[in-house]
Amino acid sequence: MPPMRTAAGRNKKPPPEGFEDIEDTLLEFQNKMKDAENASHDGKKKHEMIWPIFQITHQRSKYIYDMYYEKEAISKTLYDWLLKNGYADAMLIAKWKKQGYEKLCCVRCIQTNETNFRSTCICRVPKKTLNESQDIQCVNCGCRGCSSGD
Amino acid sequence: MADIPVRPPAGLPALAPGWTEHSAPSGHVYYYNKETKKSTYVRPIVEIHGLQQQHAAPRPPAPQAPFGANPNIGHVNHVASNNQLNPNFQPPNFRFGGPAQEPFQNAPQHSNPRGDHRGGHRGGFNNFQDRRRQPEDKPKHRSDIPNCAPWVLVKTKLGRRFVWNKDTNESFWKFPPHVMKAVMDFDHKEREKKERREHGQPSDEEDTAMAEVEADLAAVEEEMEKQIVRVDGEVGMDDDSEYEEVEVTDDEGEEANKPPKRQRTEEPTEDQAMEMGEDDIAWQLAQMEAMEEGDFDEEDEEEGLPLTEEDCKALFKELLDDTRISPYVPWDKVLENDGLYEDERYKALPTMKARKDCFDEWARERIHYLKEQKANQQTLDPRIPYLALLHKYATPKLYWPEFRRKYKREMKDSKVTDKVKEQLYRDHIKRLGLKQPELRSDLSNLLKAQPLALLNGSTTLETLPPSILTDLRFISLPASTRDSLVGAYISTLPPAPEGAFASAEEEAEVIRKRAERGRRERALAERERRVQEDRRKQERDLAYGMGRLREEEAEIERAMKFGKDGLKGQLGS
Ligand SMILES: [Zn+2]
Ligand SMILES: [Zn+2]
Repeated sequence: MPPMRTAAGRNKKPPPEGFEDIEDTLLEFQNKMKDAENASHDGKKKHEMIWPIFQITHQRSKYIYDMYYEKEAISKTLYDWLLKNGYADAMLIAKWKKQGYEKLCCVRCIQTNETNFRSTCICRVPKKTLNESQDIQCVNCGCRGCSSGD
Repeated sequence: MADIPVRPPAGLPALAPGWTEHSAPSGHVYYYNKETKKSTYVRPIVEIHGLQQQHAAPRPPAPQAPFGANPNIGHVNHVASNNQLNPNFQPPNFRFGGPAQEPFQNAPQHSNPRGDHRGGHRGGFNNFQDRRRQPEDKPKHRSDIPNCAPWVLVKTKLGRRFVWNKDTNESFWKFPPHVMKAVMDFDHKEREKKERREHGQPSDEEDTAMAEVEADLAAVEEEMEKQIVRVDGEVGMDDDSEYEEVEVTDDEGEEANKPPKRQRTEEPTEDQAMEMGEDDIAWQLAQMEAMEEGDFDEEDEEEGLPLTEEDCKALFKELLDDTRISPYVPWDKVLENDGLYEDERYKALPTMKARKDCFDEWARERIHYLKEQKANQQTLDPRIPYLALLHKYATPKLYWPEFRRKYKREMKDSKVTDKVKEQLYRDHIKRLGLKQPELRSDLSNLLKAQPLALLNGSTTLETLPPSILTDLRFISLPASTRDSLVGAYISTLPPAPEGAFASAEEEAEVIRKRAERGRRERALAERERRVQEDRRKQERDLAYGMGRLREEEAEIERAMKFGKDGLKGQLGS
């Protein structure tokens, strides 16, 4: 008798064709994400703990964006499936397509209502308009600058 | 600019009677005695006793420059004070680096009216100063030497340079060693800045190395220009040009009160300086030779093997091919590959940005190629993609019906019949139960069984023949183990034999590609060799420069010794 397949296994639809090509890389991102989520708090501030999570989300979204738009390595079907299944941040990618937001770190950094000064995050300010030696890092996601001009 | 000396030297002692001062067209000053019809560079003076005080403005370098130049050795002024001479005394005198002292040898010193050799030398200092205080030449531009305060680099109108210490008010034509280092750094940076402006982009590592070499050469050239100025001056001696009024300074009186004793103690300095001059000339000749050699080499090689931007990209792409890295990974992942940096082809591209762009291009092309290859295999033999699927997903944990259900989607385009599929699946699962060494030797046998026409040195992992791809022995090992085994085996094979290609065009194409690759790799090796050579040359130059500094130190020590002996001799007489 063959072993019974689990309910979860039966419900899970297999990913579209081409997934196997990027599977290894996605698995690596997943492991990094797990590590970041399970990292100990030692000495870190609460907001610093979530920075790596934002950063990995950014990297993974960038990777999928690059695979679909830049390298044409994956199909539209697979791309849509990846967005639907949370492999990439659709909101963030939507921003990247807009001029001036090509390098945006995370959507929180352009939401004016969340910051103290009713303006966008410091990381959005072009480096050349800042004091030259000024070293900045935003509180939201630890971004050190994501202006398109930088 | 306020504290730049308006003109190099300070006041002068009065001319001895019968002598007049003249200026050659080059600006060099000489003296002529109408009665004796003799001429000299050496300023004939009437001796005056007295003391002199230090100037308030940067003074052009004095003859004892090489002494003061060494911060490790007691300052000449210090020596002077030990000998109960005025410690502040600094005879005004412009002075070149070593070689500039040479004119003293040529100067008609014996025509000195006082017939005193010593006096001639003493006069020589003043004379020398006079020649340097040509009205044509005066400080024009000053800049603080970075990381070397309080030293200031002063450039004269004639493009000569001397250094001035704002604090001690010393100035030298011959840069003290630590100042020289700082000036070299400064020159280098200035040059880089200039180059960046010219090219509109920052220079990479290699350019920097070249710029350093060029800066050194420029310094040598400058040194030579100084000599040329001097030689002109000598030629101009015969020219009966008009008398030119010597500029008089506020502290002329002080200058004129120079104690003669002090001057005697300085004589050895001058003699030593002359020796040093010869060394410098030898050094410069060596530099010139090195320069010519270098130029020749470069021309020769550049004509031989050109390396275009396309070549550089092709080299880097071939490197990426050879690493067998997946084109589906992000750039960061590529950089984790240590083997990448050890390969010469990594340096084919100058910047990280260029490498990333090249990787993106390579990945795009490669992904496209792999997709094409996959489609071809489907038409070539439907079993090929099916076996590839088995290789990836088949596991002894799944029975055939389960596997078929689970990967229904992946298999929907397959032209292989269900019966064949099932048979291949069962056979494959059976083989997965075998031990690794057995699977390895099976694969090895499969490879060895291939005729050279199908599998040879030109074959890549993507162009393996169907006879391998449709064989179960090819899919029994995990991909990483299998690919490295196959790759290693291919690398031992000779190139494709004649007639192994489908057409003559295909064969010509393969041969052309191989030749192209060989040419690029040779050109890269040549370029690398050139860079290494430049680096070695630079090190040699640096070592030479250091040796020169050490020589100077030795000279100074000798001069100091000589100076004391000379003084003793005088005290004794
Ligand atoms: Zn940002
Ligand atoms: Zn952010």
